[in-house]
Amino acid sequence: MSKGYRQAPGGSSDKKRKDGKRTAGKQDFGVPGSGGSNPYSELQDIERIPNSQGGQLEQPRGPHVHDPHITGQTIGKATPLVDSRWKVTGQAEYGDDIRLPNELVGRILRSPHHYARIVSIDTSEAEALPGVRAVSTGMDSVNRFGVLPVTKDEHAMAQDKVRHVGDLVACVAAESEEIAIEALNHIHVDYEVMESIHDMEDGLLDSENPIHDRGKYHIGESNVQKRVFQQFGHTDAMHDAPFQSKSDWTFAGLHHGFTEPHAVVAHWDPNGRLQLYTPQQVPHYVHRALSSVLDVPMHQINVIRTFVGGGFGGKSDPFPHEMCAAILAKKSGRPVRINFDREEVYWINRGRHPSRIQMEVYADEKGRIAGIETDALIDGGAFASFGHVTTYYNGVLHTSPYEIGGFHYTGARVWTNKPASGAMRGHGAVNSRCAVEVAIDDVCEQMGVDPMTFRLANLLPPHCRTITGFRITSTGMRECLDEVRKQSGWDDKFRKMPLGRGIGVGCGFFISGSGLPIHWDPENFPHATVHLQCDMDGGVTVHTGAADIGQGSDTAVAQSVSEVLALPLDMIRIRSRESDTAPVDLGSYSSRVTFMNCNAAIRAAIELREKVLNAAWEIIGYHPDSLVLGDRRIYYKRDPAIGVSWLQAVHKAQADTGSLIASGAYRTPPMGGVHKGAAAGLAPAYSFSAYVAEVEVDPETGFVRVIKAWAAHDCGKALNPLAVEGQIIGSCHMGMGQVLSEEMRYGRTGHLLNPDLLDYKIMSVHEMPEVVPIIVESNDPEGPFGAKEAGEGPLLPILPAVVNAIYDAVGVRVNELPVSPDRLYSTIEKQCRKMGIKDPLDLPNPSFEPSSLQADLENRAKEHAHRDLQRDLLKDRSSYVNGVLFGFDPDRPLPEQSEGWRESVTPTPEDLADPKKRAARAWSHVERRKRRDDA
Amino acid sequence: MSAPIHIPMVPSDPMEAWTARVNGAQFTELAHSHSILLDVLRDHVGTLGVKRGCDMGTCGCCAVLVDGEPVLSCLTLAFEVEGKEITTVEGLADGHHLHPIQQCFADHGGSQCGFCTPGFLVVSAALLDKEPDPSEAAIKEAIEGNLCRCTGYQQIVTSIQEAGEMLRNGLTGDDRTEAASDPHPVGPDEPTLPPGDAR
Repeated sequence: MSKGYRQAPGGSSDKKRKDGKRTAGKQDFGVPGSGGSNPYSELQDIERIPNSQGGQLEQPRGPHVHDPHITGQTIGKATPLVDSRWKVTGQAEYGDDIRLPNELVGRILRSPHHYARIVSIDTSEAEALPGVRAVSTGMDSVNRFGVLPVTKDEHAMAQDKVRHVGDLVACVAAESEEIAIEALNHIHVDYEVMESIHDMEDGLLDSENPIHDRGKYHIGESNVQKRVFQQFGHTDAMHDAPFQSKSDWTFAGLHHGFTEPHAVVAHWDPNGRLQLYTPQQVPHYVHRALSSVLDVPMHQINVIRTFVGGGFGGKSDPFPHEMCAAILAKKSGRPVRINFDREEVYWINRGRHPSRIQMEVYADEKGRIAGIETDALIDGGAFASFGHVTTYYNGVLHTSPYEIGGFHYTGARVWTNKPASGAMRGHGAVNSRCAVEVAIDDVCEQMGVDPMTFRLANLLPPHCRTITGFRITSTGMRECLDEVRKQSGWDDKFRKMPLGRGIGVGCGFFISGSGLPIHWDPENFPHATVHLQCDMDGGVTVHTGAADIGQGSDTAVAQSVSEVLALPLDMIRIRSRESDTAPVDLGSYSSRVTFMNCNAAIRAAIELREKVLNAAWEIIGYHPDSLVLGDRRIYYKRDPAIGVSWLQAVHKAQADTGSLIASGAYRTPPMGGVHKGAAAGLAPAYSFSAYVAEVEVDPETGFVRVIKAWAAHDCGKALNPLAVEGQIIGSCHMGMGQVLSEEMRYGRTGHLLNPDLLDYKIMSVHEMPEVVPIIVESNDPEGPFGAKEAGEGPLLPILPAVVNAIYDAVGVRVNELPVSPDRLYSTIEKQCRKMGIKDPLDLPNPSFEPSSLQADLENRAKEHAHRDLQRDLLKDRSSYVNGVLFGFDPDRPLPEQSEGWRESVTPTPEDLADPKKRAARAWSHVERRKRRDDA
Repeated sequence: MSAPIHIPMVPSDPMEAWTARVNGAQFTELAHSHSILLDVLRDHVGTLGVKRGCDMGTCGCCAVLVDGEPVLSCLTLAFEVEGKEITTVEGLADGHHLHPIQQCFADHGGSQCGFCTPGFLVVSAALLDKEPDPSEAAIKEAIEGNLCRCTGYQQIVTSIQEAGEMLRNGLTGDDRTEAASDPHPVGPDEPTLPPGDAR
């Protein structure tokens, strides 16, 4: 025990009575965090102490690396977000709330043309305007940047041409907003307007003037940005399957619709370092991009994340206006603030890709999915953004949760003269998932089986590999389906409700953290790092770069640390704002934060705990293995009276160094195949979800109202059920918006018609139905305390659930989203005409006649439920790959076992022969290193 | 498409003194006759809790109370509310005790990213002021002008119901100057005594 620090309670025995009671007249209370003045703190419930430490805590299913560290402190308890009080008192500072002394207001001049060459820019008049402090054009920022290292195609401001209406041309910093706006009028730009393209299919054609023109990834002389081909399994045989569903989908583009418009403040401090305040999901990418655009080393830049008023993927790119603010601040020598109005938010976009997807699902006579053939053409707008990845995700993320006989995917992303598309909640998986799930419903209709049963009889088990080589660890898909079936009363409602009422089911599958950090080799550098620092006060400061964008990542990290150290949540302080103090982190995207950061935090906390336990060992003489952490107290597990307060142990541990620090990192295990594109969609774990939606459709107007939704999501383990439920309901809200009302509408001339929240219709409280969030916990063996993601996956199933419910209600399938009343009514009208019906109210109500297959599938579902349980409990340790259902031996390479089994990522001419396939046409161009270069 | 229309800078009219009570304190600021209440509140009064979301009355983030009535400050001229009593989110708490609606939004997940929260808070505080036991339909009607992209409204409605319950029972919110967890955990055999007891 250190003698020097007198504040330590119970520090000298002469001041304390032996029985632990306070001595009169002495210190009334222990120091906060000291464990109180009484050595007998409450005995921890033996049920909550893990087996490994002498308790009786029941182990969750499956092998689980973190179980020994559960203290029952915070994990699994509904916990208000640690920053929620900042938000409810108005003290949370978002981008536009950062006010620096002497600041200037920045404004951006945007292109009025879809596609034009810039002949000249004259800024002299603007510069002469009183009150203007700096004007900048593309000349000041010749370096390119982009979120993905392979597709850096953006500049702070246009270099030679503008690529969409709203593209940045120049920017101004002035004393007031009025002067800045006026100055924009005095910048004279000469444009030479070029022919623009707006339809994504035009992007596949040869082009004299491609929107981008650059090296390796420029495919021929066209606007194809990325093309993907993947073929696995029996892709030829599947075409002979007896049950086939073919559909051609059109999905409108979508915007994230976050309530906080973009805003940024840049300031070069007196030491010449750039301080950039920005509401960013991924501060680290901005950090990198700033460094290369401004030609300033990274250590001279501090990126400070403000509170983020909603992200959903829309604040994860490094943005040109962030560069503009930095350039203007440098030129003027004063802080510059740029805040967007709502219209500008739509010009920068990065929302969901407008897509045209041809979906074919084949099912064989045994009720198995013989194959899925997908052709997805996605409209990337003017820049690459995350598009490279999106092109893969549109295909590879529907290879699970079902076991399939074949997978054939052609995908292409094209440039058009629209605001760039990018990543949005459920990145790349949402649209094709909707198409797959609706096609499965269609196949079930043909077969005469209940779509619930069909899904249950075709699920992949836990601990298996998918057809393209994803490693599935835990899956709660079956429980999700069982839960929604039970709670929604599916068996009494499906095909049994009157015309105009319907019920539908959909499933989802999403990555829990991208397996590949896109900027570095995971072999050399981990995905996430967390530092812990414990000072004399006994509280723990957590340094992490994870960006809390409202999803509660700060809370989850604090909970993880609190759980391992058995400290109350308010003794954990999160510092996640500044790149100066935070370890490098990839940020909040691909649903990685809970999985990766909490894992890193747990590792750091375990390291810190070891040091504290060793110090406790020195004080009380019991080996750390026999010590238990309680609330701010460490005690011997057989006799809780023998113990030491947290603070005493911390002081002991700090005795020589004065510090107590620990660091933890997380990296993904090696996984995945070796083919080109194998890394896309790889994740250390996957989330699963199943939703049922009940709708009311007016056949006479085509108006759809969702009455109720049952939403079961397998998030592994709900670290904070309050936040998980919030994510599930919020995802439903966003997904229902996409399926019923949200759409970025482009007019005849290619102009965006609805860049505001009035015409871009986000559901209000009146349209929002009741959502029953159901949390399913599958306890992932590698997740932090078993957790997986809950932020993006819950969005996927609501779309197909609603579309399938519409079919159940009126018997028509729509394949264009959003299902606005006019679209649905014209489909109903077509159906009426086809059937010779005059009144839509006479439409036949879909009915269900189970075929002989129904009983077979029910039996198989039961067998599989048993199989999954065995595998889940690891009684069954045999390997399982996609294909076992079709009779393959999982221990031998599949291509060896069957002539027709193909694994290929380069198409042959026959693979692309179908002239109706759109994305396949992208392969007609020759890949050249440079334009007009003979390959 | 033709070049953008050039609107020449018109000299602004001289600023005039604008007076109002904001969150109980008298403010006198210089403002133009065309100044928007939102700008005056954010840039002059300094109540940055009033958020700018869309500038056209579609999102409700900028809602404030004028004499207890919810008003969208982005659609209100500052001089329209001259001399009136304005309450922003900063003025809801009673000293360092949170308003029940603030407490419940924090505790029941009514706030995720938090950007729309100030608008929801003042609007629902005004509702609960008039009707401490509102029906679900009344709650939905009260917040219909506010957009939330994160929560899907369900936890917001719950928060408002819970806050109504607190108000009806005469409870105030937590003292936010106090730590959430007990800083002085007491053992099982130690009697809890009032502070200052010398034993």
